[in-house]
Amino acid sequence: MKQNRNGIVGSMAAVAVITSLGLAGCSTTAGVEVTGKTTWDEQGARSLEKNVQFNNSGLKGDIQIVDVKSIMAGDVMRVQATLRSKDNATLPFQYRFEWYDGGGMEINSGAGSWKPLILYGRESKTIQSVAPNPRAKEFKLKIREPD
Amino acid sequence: MKHGMKILFAMAAIGAISLSGCASTIQYDDAGSAKPISTEFGSSDLQQIAEAMVESMITFPPMVEMTASRRPVVSVDMVKNKTMQHIDTESVTDSIRTRLIRSGKFRFIDRTTDAQTIEELKTQQDSGLVDKKTAVDFGHQVGAEFLLTSNLSEIRQKLGSTTDVYYKFTMSLKNLKTGILEWSDEKEIRKVSKRGTFGG
Repeated sequence: MKQNRNGIVGSMAAVAVITSLGLAGCSTTAGVEVTGKTTWDEQGARSLEKNVQFNNSGLKGDIQIVDVKSIMAGDVMRVQATLRSKDNATLPFQYRFEWYDGGGMEINSGAGSWKPLILYGRESKTIQSVAPNPRAKEFKLKIREPD
Repeated sequence: MKHGMKILFAMAAIGAISLSGCASTIQYDDAGSAKPISTEFGSSDLQQIAEAMVESMITFPPMVEMTASRRPVVSVDMVKNKTMQHIDTESVTDSIRTRLIRSGKFRFIDRTTDAQTIEELKTQQDSGLVDKKTAVDFGHQVGAEFLLTSNLSEIRQKLGSTTDVYYKFTMSLKNLKTGILEWSDEKEIRKVSKRGTFGG
């Protein structure tokens, strides 16, 4: 009886191991999504509405979005995000910026490429991007673990 | 005995599932993927260079000032490939040119299609097929104000099973009238490969 129970526990553990192997081996998680939208108040002052969403609890333990800011270079929007590592080890990440116009339509849809980013232990680093053209009013920054 | 069999089954199951989960297949992948395969110049390197150059150029303050009221005409020169690799450098400058055109801040002339242009104009002028009122005359194209020049170099170091490759792409915008470099920037990329003990 006791042996049988041990067997069940053993196979349950095996299933858990299989599941975790399968996930770790062949998937890249959605990671972190930071969105920002340029808005103007009645006085014409520009401000940035921002939102940070973690879709991966592992990544939430690794990095922190310290700050997101945006300025205009002429008529083109520029964005900078400050990231901080919460880990003591050197961690590799990838990030990508996507840009949207005032109507929420993506500009050059799917044209953005992932860029490598290395964060040393407890380091904070900034990543920047420039809008592809003056129509861009919103951006989405995606950060993930390397695929 | 019975317990041993169960462990054996569980191990077989792990093997079977992990193999079937990642079986080799052909599939589409992300064209913007930053997964390095080797230390050779790859697609992600090209995209990183193109984006870095365009972002630097359109935000450089004198360029912002100049492009605020007009769209200067630029010609793109061949990239000087100083690496030991065969790289389609025209593809790099094509990506940069496409992104600059998308920004709406610059206009370009393309010298690589001049032979076809001359052929077409000759046909319009001489064949007698085209209405003289709509035929395009020679000598009305716009001359480029700027020339975009670039260099790609690499430093390759190898020690034991480690290969370290450093790429540097330098780009400049030269004013053809004055000879002054109005803008210049560089993008550095470093790739390191370590060969495993049992790897080929």
